[in-house]
Amino acid sequence: MTAMRATWHQQGIAISLTTASIVFYAFTAVVTGQFSQVSFAGFLGLFERTVALSLVAMGQAVVIAGGAIDLSVANIVSVAAVLAAYFMQNDPGNIAEATVMVIAICGSVGVLNGLLVTLLRVSPLIATLGTSLVLQGILSLSYGALQGTVPKAFQVVAYGKLGGVPVSLLSLLTIALLTAFVLQRTRTGSRLLAVGGNPRAARLAGIHGSRVTVATFAFSAVMSALAGLYLASRLGTGTPWIGRDGSYDLSSIAAAVIGGTLLSGGRISIAGTLAGVLVFAATDAIFNMLQIDPFLSQVLRGVIVIAAVASYTYRSREEAA
Amino acid sequence: MQTTTERRFGAAKEDVPLLQMVGISKSFGQVEVLQGIDLTCTAGTLTAICGENGAGKSTLMNILGGVFAPSAGEIYIDGQAISFTHPSEAKARGIAVIHQELNLLPHRSVADNIFLGREPVRFGMLDRRRMNRDSAAALRRLGSDIDPRTPCGALSIAEQQLVEIARALTEEARILVFDEPTAALDESETRALFGLIGELKAAGVAMLYISHRMAEIRELADRISVIKDGRRVATMAAAEASIDNVIQLMVGRALGDFFPQPASAPGGESLLSVRGGGNAQLRGIDLDVRSGEILGIAGLEGSGKAALARALAGVDPFQCGEVEAFDRLGAPRSPRQAARRGIAAIPDDRKRDGLGLSQSLRNNVGLTLRAVTNPLASATSGGRSHRRLDALLAETEVRCADFGMPVGELSGGNQQKVMFARWRAVAPRVWIVSEPTRGIDVGARAAIYRMLRGFAEAGGAVLVVSSDLMELIGLCDRIGVMAAGQLVAELPRGTSEDEIIRHAMRHDPPQVGRSQGQALSARDGDAA
Repeated sequence: MTAMRATWHQQGIAISLTTASIVFYAFTAVVTGQFSQVSFAGFLGLFERTVALSLVAMGQAVVIAGGAIDLSVANIVSVAAVLAAYFMQNDPGNIAEATVMVIAICGSVGVLNGLLVTLLRVSPLIATLGTSLVLQGILSLSYGALQGTVPKAFQVVAYGKLGGVPVSLLSLLTIALLTAFVLQRTRTGSRLLAVGGNPRAARLAGIHGSRVTVATFAFSAVMSALAGLYLASRLGTGTPWIGRDGSYDLSSIAAAVIGGTLLSGGRISIAGTLAGVLVFAATDAIFNMLQIDPFLSQVLRGVIVIAAVASYTYRSREEAA
Repeated sequence: MQTTTERRFGAAKEDVPLLQMVGISKSFGQVEVLQGIDLTCTAGTLTAICGENGAGKSTLMNILGGVFAPSAGEIYIDGQAISFTHPSEAKARGIAVIHQELNLLPHRSVADNIFLGREPVRFGMLDRRRMNRDSAAALRRLGSDIDPRTPCGALSIAEQQLVEIARALTEEARILVFDEPTAALDESETRALFGLIGELKAAGVAMLYISHRMAEIRELADRISVIKDGRRVATMAAAEASIDNVIQLMVGRALGDFFPQPASAPGGESLLSVRGGGNAQLRGIDLDVRSGEILGIAGLEGSGKAALARALAGVDPFQCGEVEAFDRLGAPRSPRQAARRGIAAIPDDRKRDGLGLSQSLRNNVGLTLRAVTNPLASATSGGRSHRRLDALLAETEVRCADFGMPVGELSGGNQQKVMFARWRAVAPRVWIVSEPTRGIDVGARAAIYRMLRGFAEAGGAVLVVSSDLMELIGLCDRIGVMAAGQLVAELPRGTSEDEIIRHAMRHDPPQVGRSQGQALSARDGDAA
């Protein structure tokens, strides 16, 4: 009974956040007379705007559930976007190779983060802040040498459609389902949550916590790389500030926590994370439609994050975040 | 029982010992915790490990479980030398350790916790059906019907302990280590565990059993090893050992005045009196805690005895009824108010509710003092003066070379003394003390009993809430018995365990059918 209630509680967060986002979005569109926003294409547009942050936030949620935090995601997004454009040099023949290179390079940054945390025992906050600053510096220094654009063929990632639905959206859903499956139905998932929930218990149960931690950082970095590739495809090129401007670091943490992932580790909801990102996308869209000042919308974003998390803590009377 | 023990012990001598630890030493920095410990355990026997807290028992078990590597010495299993660098390697060798502190994941289900680190899979996926089925089966062997899908955070401490034991059971270990397994269990659960230990012996499992409870050791052990100050001082067949002898070896001195007797007839004016006190967990509490006396509160798990302590200390205050305190101010409405007025509260879980484990002894001792004194006073006065804090620690007989070291590195007994020292700083009139000696060695227990009696002799009123009936009977001048949130009986000094249990059970219908008979016979081996 209790077990079923717990599951319902988590999925309940995802369902209610999604419903609320869509209802408010549709209501605003109807009230302001912007009916194109509530068409099929309008909704797809809304969902499409969640793709990049969703990828990053899922990686972030996994790191958080494992008991750490990753502040380097924003700059990894930038690195991926810049390198994608540079490696492809507008030549469709380079796409496969460039994609693999970008994922490998970003993945190694993730592994480096993991090693800093596990081998050198640097706190995750400081370790990833450090790598983040290093990446940012390198990008700014070498951006002049790393110019390039992605070929038209690669823009299929962002603009291609399959049966009327954007390829990017389908890929996002596939990745989300796979991640949720691994977390809920495999040993990997249960060990990850063990390390995040109580590292000592995990160690005593014979789990090698360091391996798990390194893997979460690698996963997060790869997800950020995918987000960077998607943005490069969407914009046709990459810039060193694309990740920072999107504030992927703090937004990804907020989305994960709004979605029911425990900031202290040990509990995760992938559906909730996606719903958390949707809340942000819907809020932005609503403020756009209402033509509210973007700075004010930032204020409201902050209020929404705090209110959501406070409501969970208050209801469950435990440390939700 | 006697004959089986002898037969098993005799038979086991011919076998190669399943487990041999030879010359095990362990130092943490400068501190040598273990020095050349030898320990042998044969298949199908249980060796009890006795020793005061801080004697090094837990360190020894952690070495066996692969948590620490020994600084010197060898471990042999089936005569083969082995060494561990990670708990997973100890597990692979068939060693399972049931640690004293509970290490469960609160957000994961019972089954997830039981199979943590060795989850069964089918086609690459977790085989949840099997995990649930096997978990339920293991729990049933312990006489428990916990639903394996429940998150562990929703379980009581006793249930969590059962889950820890069930985990070790499903590992089908050949060497099983128990560290104070019954500390949180009630009588019927303890009985079920002991039955299971018998089965495991018959199945040829070698067991090591750490406990402070001599009655348990007498009942279960084939051999007893006594450790003192990191050295093994004696090993004997359980049949030859007497409790007094073991305690003397552990403490290194005879245990003459374990429970200090009151000098005069106790019971002066009432310092804290409650009439019709109640809240969500308590009903109609009538109670007087008098100057010069120690009042004991007994009761089963969930009887409200812990809630009573919290209510009196202002943690979860009474919602109704009248409370009169020595200062005519009524009931404390918060722990802060209680502290300012000199009502001390020692919590039942000092690690969770008492100490900042990574902070120094001095910081921990100064906590209450700093809370109630002027925060802007000079750095050398009040709660910031080392001299004052050190004096408090010394008065409370805290044994530690450096009062600046983290309190988490002390033994349980010394940690508890730090809790007492913290409150002595504000010279309380009333002491609300919960489980004063839980997980504490014999030597420190005696010191704490002397201290509590001393508070009463000095005119204070002491209320002791405890699950240890021996302790209540030996220490207290009166004993109140709680059941279903009410005080159901008040018994005078010199009452018996049977009498207390009879009252504790009477008002608790769900407990009666299940365990009354067992509980009574458990306390007195001859009654059954």
